[in-house]
Amino acid sequence: MSAGNHSEVDPRSIWIVIAAFNEAAVIEPIVSDIVRGNYSVVLVDDGSQDKTGQIALAAGATVVTHPVNLGQGAALQTGIKFALQQGAHTIVTFDADGQHRPSDIARLVDALKQSNADYVLGSRFLGSSRGMPLRRRLLLHAAIWFTRAVTGLRLSDTHNGLRAMSREGAQRISLRQNRMAHATELLQQIAASELPYIEVPVTIEYTRYSLAKGQGLADSVAILFDLSVQKLHR
Amino acid sequence: MIAQIGFSILLTSVMAYAWTEYRRAPVIAILSMLVATAGLYFVWLPAHATTLAALVGIGRGVDLIIYIWVIISLMLLLNLHLKLRSQAELITILMREAAVANARRGKPSK
Repeated sequence: MSAGNHSEVDPRSIWIVIAAFNEAAVIEPIVSDIVRGNYSVVLVDDGSQDKTGQIALAAGATVVTHPVNLGQGAALQTGIKFALQQGAHTIVTFDADGQHRPSDIARLVDALKQSNADYVLGSRFLGSSRGMPLRRRLLLHAAIWFTRAVTGLRLSDTHNGLRAMSREGAQRISLRQNRMAHATELLQQIAASELPYIEVPVTIEYTRYSLAKGQGLADSVAILFDLSVQKLHR
Repeated sequence: MIAQIGFSILLTSVMAYAWTEYRRAPVIAILSMLVATAGLYFVWLPAHATTLAALVGIGRGVDLIIYIWVIISLMLLLNLHLKLRSQAELITILMREAAVANARRGKPSK
């Protein structure tokens, strides 16, 4: 499925940020599909030990490489910083494990433009998710309640990596959480910015590969710890 | 008396260290100073420690002082963890700058 175009905004000023760590097995079709939509792609190779960076480069992405693995939060912030430096009008974050559909990018970008919101957040619970195990569903619902409690945002999905933000919105994001707690931290920063946000339905397709890379209960505990500890220092 | 002086020096050092950490980790610094002050108080007035210990169900005053010392140790450990996190954040910033400066632009094959 090809990433679609949308009117008026130059697609090259729309930057798709992909944080990737050891994704050589799946990254080529993802990058190629997005590049075919004429979007600009920055793939942050987060210290991969395989050929993720080289494959993405060959597929047409701009590749920014962390010398060592820092975590998805750090990689996204690097990608956002790079895209802003390139004069991005809109920034979309997109997962590297094949769970997201490139065709949803146009939907997010159009919603950003039509709603005048600064953040458009993808929601699998407004859209659809295929192959989601019950344990993952329960964990995500717990995360939704937790995020509502700590951010005050009334969202239907909180740990969805598919989101779009305006340039102004992206400038308000400064992730300090290098690892998985960045998803909650990002929502905290959206709440703090007081800029408008909306949710749009998106499709998430779980595969054996993406599930193996996903989070478990122990990761949730680590996220809680990271978020708590961050409040103790500057 | 020697033990009291020794503990006093240690606890005063903890307070001084906590003071130096105030800017970076104010919550931890204030808690450390409060607990160290309580420790100092009980080192010189152990009878009060015994009274308070009995009140909160610990038993002996010396046990209360040991508990306070354990709390101080845990807070110092937490402070070390926070320092490591701060270092990691600096390393991240450094790596980010280097990574962005060395971006490689791909060209899709037709």
